[in-house]
Amino acid sequence: SKTVSDEKYQDPFQLGRKDLKNLYEDIKKELLVSTAELKEMCDYYFDGKGKAFRPMIVVLMARACNIHHNNSREVQASQRSVAIIAEMIHTASLVHDDVIDDANSRRGKMTVNQIWGERKAVLAGDFILSAASVALARIGNTTIISVLTQVIEDLVCGEFLQLGSKENENERFAHYLEKTFKKTASLIANSCKAVSILGCPDPKVHEIAYQYGKNLIDDVLDFTSCADHLGKPTAADLKLGLATGPVLFACRQFPEMNAMIMRRFSKPGDVERARKYVLQSDGVQQTTYLAQRYCHEATREISKLRPSPEREALIQLTEMVLVRDK
Amino acid sequence: MFLLQWITLNYSEILLSWLDMKSFLSTLIGPVKMDCENMPFFFFFPFCRGFVYDSRNNLQMRGLVILLVSKAAGPSTAELSFQHNMVSGIYSSQRSLAEITELIHTAFLVHRGIVNIGELKSCDGPLKDMQFGNKMAVLSGDFLLANACTSLAQLQNTKVVELISSAIGDLVQGIYYENSKSSEENCLTDDISISRWKEQVFLSHSALLAKSCQAAMELAKHSAEIQDVAFQYGKHMSMSHKLHSDLQPFVKESSSDTMAFSLNSAPAVLHQEFLGREAWIKQIREAQGKGNTMDYKKLREAIKAGKGVTSAIDLCRCHGNRALAALERFPPSEARAALANIVCAVTRFS
Repeated sequence: SKTVSDEKYQDPFQLGRKDLKNLYEDIKKELLVSTAELKEMCDYYFDGKGKAFRPMIVVLMARACNIHHNNSREVQASQRSVAIIAEMIHTASLVHDDVIDDANSRRGKMTVNQIWGERKAVLAGDFILSAASVALARIGNTTIISVLTQVIEDLVCGEFLQLGSKENENERFAHYLEKTFKKTASLIANSCKAVSILGCPDPKVHEIAYQYGKNLIDDVLDFTSCADHLGKPTAADLKLGLATGPVLFACRQFPEMNAMIMRRFSKPGDVERARKYVLQSDGVQQTTYLAQRYCHEATREISKLRPSPEREALIQLTEMVLVRDK
Repeated sequence: MFLLQWITLNYSEILLSWLDMKSFLSTLIGPVKMDCENMPFFFFFPFCRGFVYDSRNNLQMRGLVILLVSKAAGPSTAELSFQHNMVSGIYSSQRSLAEITELIHTAFLVHRGIVNIGELKSCDGPLKDMQFGNKMAVLSGDFLLANACTSLAQLQNTKVVELISSAIGDLVQGIYYENSKSSEENCLTDDISISRWKEQVFLSHSALLAKSCQAAMELAKHSAEIQDVAFQYGKHMSMSHKLHSDLQPFVKESSSDTMAFSLNSAPAVLHQEFLGREAWIKQIREAQGKGNTMDYKKLREAIKAGKGVTSAIDLCRCHGNRALAALERFPPSEARAALANIVCAVTRFS
């Protein structure tokens, strides 16, 4: 497996830095609320402390597509807006997810619902979404509106899929992948597609951008992979009753896990037992293999674009994802 | 109002297959004449069971109003080569917009039902049930909103998307104001002026309808002037409706004397404005019995004795007149008459 590249390549985060400067400030400007408290709630996660992984990908993709089309390295204002809107949609869904999961911490601080209560948290999420929609409309492109609205729909469907579960083992994995795509990959895939549409008229490029984003597996397959963490399905996910990649693979070797999955690890001792089974099985290796396949697919797609530092950065990112520590 | 109630109850059927209003009504009750002078709807008052609304919120006929406004405005003079799908004077995009508006309104009815887990007491039932309820409420509301967004995108009109999205933002802020004060125990009533009250009520009760009416005009490529007509109608009619609703505890003879009412309703806010904050707080304290029970009968009498009720009625009629004035700028039609009748209904007190 590939390791993270050395100084030979530029740090992908550097390449997009200029465009993403003031990203969070600009997001806050979109959140025009008259009440101080509601404003505070909406601004809460846009504190600039995050790595801005998603906006970075979007901006790099925008550049790569622009270069491919006409050698322009400039990011258009509308493309930058897409990065902003994607981040807002993502955050709005996080705020709601935290209410749904009754979570009390995220990114090292208390959740919005923990501080202000569930009622206001839901409203804050709704407001961020509405502000994202207004910004989306202002780009003035109906195709872009359709592409990014798809994300909103997918996010909700993903949540519903998460609620349901399949008895049949084969169905279960397909169900899991579908849910995973809708919840996480759809945002990146469609954002990439959107900026490619804005940057280049060639539909083949749009498809490349979309496929890249779709295959960029993030923490989707429960990849906390730093060497020490390998083999540990996140306890938090299991407690939520979410069967992740390693668990689903392990289940094939240890059918006893079926019952645990169906009851969503609710019995005392389930989580521990699940972890043990995963460690004993080849669940992690299988998941790693699957993740690598996805990442190779992403690399294969993006390599079809004209060479550029941005294209290289995007390739690098697929590798980084594989070894990224949450 | 029987007709309107019937329409509300069978709403989705109507939206999906909108018939010519006259023939529709006549299948129900026989031939109907609908012009402003006769105001035939009021013939049905004895059969009236009241408007179908939820507890403190709007007309569940937002969509119907949008359809009527669409019809009343008529076809636009601009060339609409893409809009060949017009049934009974309403474009399919306008019909879709009416559905979208209802979706949004319903989504927020659902989101309003969410409870604060931290404030629950044991008498509220098992925590797990409440958490599950919250989960369902968030998801269902989100589902409805996502559907609304998807349908909005399909309208292929960025101005409409912007308008409706901003209306959602308004609605959120309006609901936020509604929620903010209610949890504070010491402050049962806001210290706000009537103009501030109107701003907040515009957000929570008018913005969605007003902007949707305007958006319906945009979909038919009507002029800015016509768009404004629709907006003004939607705004003022819904303001009247809210005032009408707030006044019910004070004007209805049959309502129970001890029935509670909101201390932030229009008559109370106006009463406070005339009386001054201190005197109002004093009246509230006098009406508060032991253990924080409120003697609503006493408070109601206090408000009725002041100028709050009459000025709320005046304000209601004022908005009603502005709505009617806006309508004058549409050509005469049955749809326009129906819209005028709605205004008459929400400004009538007897």
